[in-house]
Amino acid sequence: MSISTTDLKVKDVLLPPERVPALPPTTLLKQALEEMNKYRLGVVCVIDENDKLIGIFTDGDVRRLLLKSQKPFAALFVDDIIVHATSTFTSIGDTASLSEAVILMEEKEIWDLPVIAESDGKFLGLLHLHPAIKAVMDI
Amino acid sequence: MNSDTITIGRDDQVRNVTIGGTDALVFLGGPCAIETSDHARMMAEQIGFICEKLDIPWIYKSCYDKDCRSAPDSFHGVGLDEGLKILSNIRTEFGIPVVCDFSDADWAKPTGEVIDLIQVPAYLCRQTTILRAAGETGLPVHLKKGQFMSPWNMKNAVRKVEATGNRQILLTDRGTFFGYNMLVNDFRNFPIMSETGYPVCFDATHSVQLPTSMGDISGGQREFIPHLVRAAAACGINALFMEVHDDPPNALSDANTVLDIKYLEQILAQAKAAHELRLELLDKWGADRVHLDD
Repeated sequence: MSISTTDLKVKDVLLPPERVPALPPTTLLKQALEEMNKYRLGVVCVIDENDKLIGIFTDGDVRRLLLKSQKPFAALFVDDIIVHATSTFTSIGDTASLSEAVILMEEKEIWDLPVIAESDGKFLGLLHLHPAIKAVMDI
Repeated sequence: MNSDTITIGRDDQVRNVTIGGTDALVFLGGPCAIETSDHARMMAEQIGFICEKLDIPWIYKSCYDKDCRSAPDSFHGVGLDEGLKILSNIRTEFGIPVVCDFSDADWAKPTGEVIDLIQVPAYLCRQTTILRAAGETGLPVHLKKGQFMSPWNMKNAVRKVEATGNRQILLTDRGTFFGYNMLVNDFRNFPIMSETGYPVCFDATHSVQLPTSMGDISGGQREFIPHLVRAAAACGINALFMEVHDDPPNALSDANTVLDIKYLEQILAQAKAAHELRLELLDKWGADRVHLDD
């Protein structure tokens, strides 16, 4: 039995942690940028030792950082990623509906939405806009 | 979690010394090289007398092997066995912790079984085997910033030590190359290296060194020591490192940079006063976080 697009949940479409740059807070900024390239995603998820999401660092944060920071690149590159990550971010529970998630992403103008387990608060992955739209449109 | 304070002293034979946080400024000092047992004892006694008088906690520093001398026939040191015997006697006779560097990874273990604080020479601060060996002694590690290193890149050296499970590190600035045969001090190094979470130290005597400026030996401009010490203490350090000698012209190592012990009291007294004033100012005005949180 196939699932109707209207019944799809976030957990059905999300990219699991192994398919996103999910990194510990002491990861160097340079390594984090390399991970973003490797996964072809514009976001890094900073995860603590209990698998809790404690920060988000995006392509937009990189742009703002480059314009604001007066540090030499060599110094910036060795900063811990958590120093520059945003600790206030939008997320969604895993049992939320996909359409609710897509509306939220549209409202917040974001491409990636972290998914948190409603049962224990652990990071479950990212909802990326492209597969989400693809699923909603049933293509 | 990194240690913003570290405690030096391997057993109850010596008085423990804590470095970091808002604790008293700690002095690390002694002759650059161990020359003889009698000379080492005499220096420990004289430095101890001054530190006692000024109420400054201190750690005796001297090395058994000087592997980075400019000339092949320069004094190389008394050697591992003799040097460790002398350092062991110093710590038990005077009850003070001792620090010594090592330049061969195989020396770390025997050295670490005697001394209280193990030092990584500045020239070797990128060497993974040396950093690993230092960390594996389990002792607090005195990690000197290479003259060729940026302060932020010392984080890589720190991580090599931390990879051994050792999180007791003291980071020291000893000057930065400014072209050939010349060092300068960038006082931004202290707050930058403090970002690692570890205490920081200023090496005043090596900072005035003019590396190999005299062809086959290093020169030095000792007249700048008091100026740099006051500046560093005002900027914010947890420890001060200076090599001292009773007869600098005849010192067997670093004769052009060691501080004559006749000046030690006046410099330490000013360093202590500047350190205490800085802590008072921080207490009154708050931590130095200008434009960091904007």
